[in-house]
Amino acid sequence: MSKRCYRYFGGLLTAQENWLNKMSKKGYRLVRTGKVLYEFEDCKPDQVRYYVEFIGHKSVEHAKEYYSFLEEIGYQVFYKNYNLNYSAGKVRWRPWAEKGGRIATNAGTFNRELLIVEMENDAKPIELHTSYEDKEKYYSNLRNPWLFMLLMFAVSAMITRSVLFGAAALTVLFPVILYQTQVMKMRCEAKIKERC
Amino acid sequence: MRDNTKGGALTEVTFYILLSLYTPKHGYAIMQFIGEKTGGRLSLGAGTLYGALNSLQEKGWIAPCGDSRGRKKEYFITLQGKETAEKELVRLNELVSVAGGIIGSQ
Repeated sequence: MSKRCYRYFGGLLTAQENWLNKMSKKGYRLVRTGKVLYEFEDCKPDQVRYYVEFIGHKSVEHAKEYYSFLEEIGYQVFYKNYNLNYSAGKVRWRPWAEKGGRIATNAGTFNRELLIVEMENDAKPIELHTSYEDKEKYYSNLRNPWLFMLLMFAVSAMITRSVLFGAAALTVLFPVILYQTQVMKMRCEAKIKERC
Repeated sequence: MRDNTKGGALTEVTFYILLSLYTPKHGYAIMQFIGEKTGGRLSLGAGTLYGALNSLQEKGWIAPCGDSRGRKKEYFITLQGKETAEKELVRLNELVSVAGGIIGSQ
């Protein structure tokens, strides 16, 4: 029996991951994703576990390469959107992305900012990122879009002297601080140890 | 990866990846190799492995196998990579002998 759920998590990666893992505990595994749709089929309770990974900074080529790399390892991989955007012919500028990924279009990396990685519960290793340096890099990739938004809002607030932009800047300050804390924690650990 | 080419100190992950590629392997086989050789002590996440493979390719220490007729992409160690690994072995031997002298080898 397939089961359909409609959810939108946006930038709350951990919440999405936790929810998928909760579904797995109940005996559902993912078969298809849409913008807000998650389609599940029955499986043994707790048979699989999920990771939600941000890949929005990657170029089209690297995103595809990473996707097939994970598939070759034996994981089930799904693309997922970060934003809710239905418009066709979308083009977006991502100054924080790597070379080749800075112009995101519908055909390329737009609406494919996240990967949902499904692995069997007994699969080892347990995590996707196992070294401090790699984690540091991952968290800074997560931080950069927010940092960019913070800068834009802050500059806009200063130019227009608008409270609205100021409030927006304060809001995005929260994720920036959150990810920056992680980046610094990992960097500090990496100085002494290389693996988590 | 913060591999210091001048001093020759590699990270454990880098060194194991280089060693695993003396015979060509694809991603999953590298993970298995490392898991087996270390008795599961060192387990390498797929994301970390992917990043490591890319930066080792950029350095020219490993390269993808030319004939990718098979579905899975395989890698092998280059001559430059082998040189690096040999230097690392010398460095590690030195480290072991110093440590053995002080701590006492058992």
